[in-house]
Amino acid sequence: MSSDPVRADIGDSLAIEVKGLTRSFGAVSALDGVDLEIARGTVFGLLGPNGAGKTTTVRILNGVLEATAVECLRVLGHDLPRDAAAVRPLVGVQTDTSLYDRMSALDNLVLFGRLYGATRGAARGKAEALLAMFGLTDRAGDRAGTFSKGMRQKLLLARALVGDPELVYLDEPTAGLDPEASHELMVHIRTMSERDHTTFFIASHRLDEMEEVCSQVAVLVDGRIRECGSPAEVARRAVPRVLVRVAPAPDAMVRPEVLRGLPGVVDTSVQQDGSVLLEAAGSSDVPRIVKAVAALPVDLLGVGEEPPTLAEAYLTLVGATDMVRGGGS
Amino acid sequence: MDWGRVRAVMGKDVREALSNPQIVMPLIVVPLVIVVGYPIIYLLALRLTPGAASGLGGFIGDFPRSALPSFALANTARRAAYVGVVYLFAGFFLLVPVMVSTVIAANSLAGEKERRTLEGLLYTPLSDAELVVAKIGSSFLPALGFTWICFAIYTAIIAVFGAPLMGRVFFPTLNWWALMLLLLPATSLLVISIVVMVSAKARGFQEANAIGGAIVLPLIGVVAAQASGLMVLSTTVIVVAAAVFALADVVMLRVIVRSFRRARVVSYLS
Repeated sequence: MSSDPVRADIGDSLAIEVKGLTRSFGAVSALDGVDLEIARGTVFGLLGPNGAGKTTTVRILNGVLEATAVECLRVLGHDLPRDAAAVRPLVGVQTDTSLYDRMSALDNLVLFGRLYGATRGAARGKAEALLAMFGLTDRAGDRAGTFSKGMRQKLLLARALVGDPELVYLDEPTAGLDPEASHELMVHIRTMSERDHTTFFIASHRLDEMEEVCSQVAVLVDGRIRECGSPAEVARRAVPRVLVRVAPAPDAMVRPEVLRGLPGVVDTSVQQDGSVLLEAAGSSDVPRIVKAVAALPVDLLGVGEEPPTLAEAYLTLVGATDMVRGGGS
Repeated sequence: MDWGRVRAVMGKDVREALSNPQIVMPLIVVPLVIVVGYPIIYLLALRLTPGAASGLGGFIGDFPRSALPSFALANTARRAAYVGVVYLFAGFFLLVPVMVSTVIAANSLAGEKERRTLEGLLYTPLSDAELVVAKIGSSFLPALGFTWICFAIYTAIIAVFGAPLMGRVFFPTLNWWALMLLLLPATSLLVISIVVMVSAKARGFQEANAIGGAIVLPLIGVVAAQASGLMVLSTTVIVVAAAVFALADVVMLRVIVRSFRRARVVSYLS
């Protein structure tokens, strides 16, 4: 398993550069030699089970918590914790913190806009634009304490963006959002990343969303980066099994024992939708398996490699292999 | 120090405090009793019940005559009114800003930790010093303003209920001005600094309020107990006492600003 630092375009300047990051709380080790390199403009996803060290990582990268030991800790070109004051104006953070419930949504955003140096008027303008972006204009004057969980989450996200940050940390950003709102957020993130070159650092359990939006991911387990790279790279490295899906036409039938006899096929399993998954001995066997299946006297809807998903990679890395397709077979 | 950021946090704190019944109720009830109830009942009793003054016993009689102006020596009721209004209530008055500032200061950092809003602030460009100054200021200014409003109400009550008894407006005296403008701000600032320091380490509002109160009240008890005697002394003594407290304030503020580290506060968060 690779433990190389996550690298986006090496030619770009880095938004985050971490080497040998360690943090302990008493005898408990929260982070144990974490290395990360994240280029500017990247959407980066930090994945890991509860207690893996994600929140601790975000706190240290924001200079609000000190590392026990670290060889290199640079954010947006500034060394932490020494230059933390220079980094904070460039960074927006949405964590599982709360809003000021007795203040209106607008006032919550104006306060944070002012803390990022905007005048009251400019902060109000930015706040109103963000409320419109997240569909909260009608509730701008209502107390945040009266908001639903999804609306609170949107307001926290708006708050993270109110200072026009170069780097945005998001912690479970779609928690509490309905699918439509989650999708909209993902579109916003991708747009801001591509258009404004904003870097996003997202800690999340929503593996399908992370696979969709992130150009880089890392899986953090027990304080260590277990795998990192693009979602496809991580999935491929973490789940070496090569699968080919054979989808027969509705009235056609494919006999698994026939498929199992094809050269390069190691195992087969019939899926609930009637398709058959073939496990290939290696990726080099895929072309001839596809050719052999296509030559069978059976009507097919399709045949092709079934690449491993980020979710499968994650489950493998956290030790839940029995939940991976074909796991335990 | 970016004062715009400091003002933003102070404004937020004051608005939050004033919209919280848990904070506002004691701020209304206690001063209502101390500043309005006691003096009205006391002065009305002296005016309407001829024997009331003699019932106050030896304290009024033993009070040094040199501490009373000649117009207050005309009869027992006037002496009792003057001693009560000018000397006895001074101690009570010190409790008003202490109570206000302890409640608001305890609510500041510890309350934010409890409501999980503090971490959001710590991620912003707000510096450690700005945060501490804002938290102290958002307790100090309302406490001072509130106390001065109480002082104005007290002065009006004394004018309405005391002047007919005394035959003239006799309040506030020079010592009261020194108390209100110098000693009281200086003591309040010290109290707030202590409570904010406790608040940074406490887990919640109740804990900060309890620990802050336990540390502060004995100190204020001593000051309040000595207030009557202090008011008898010359204005110079009050000014000197205020200067001593102001010096303590400067030392305390430097200690707090230098010792406050957001990393340490975050380590208390879950």
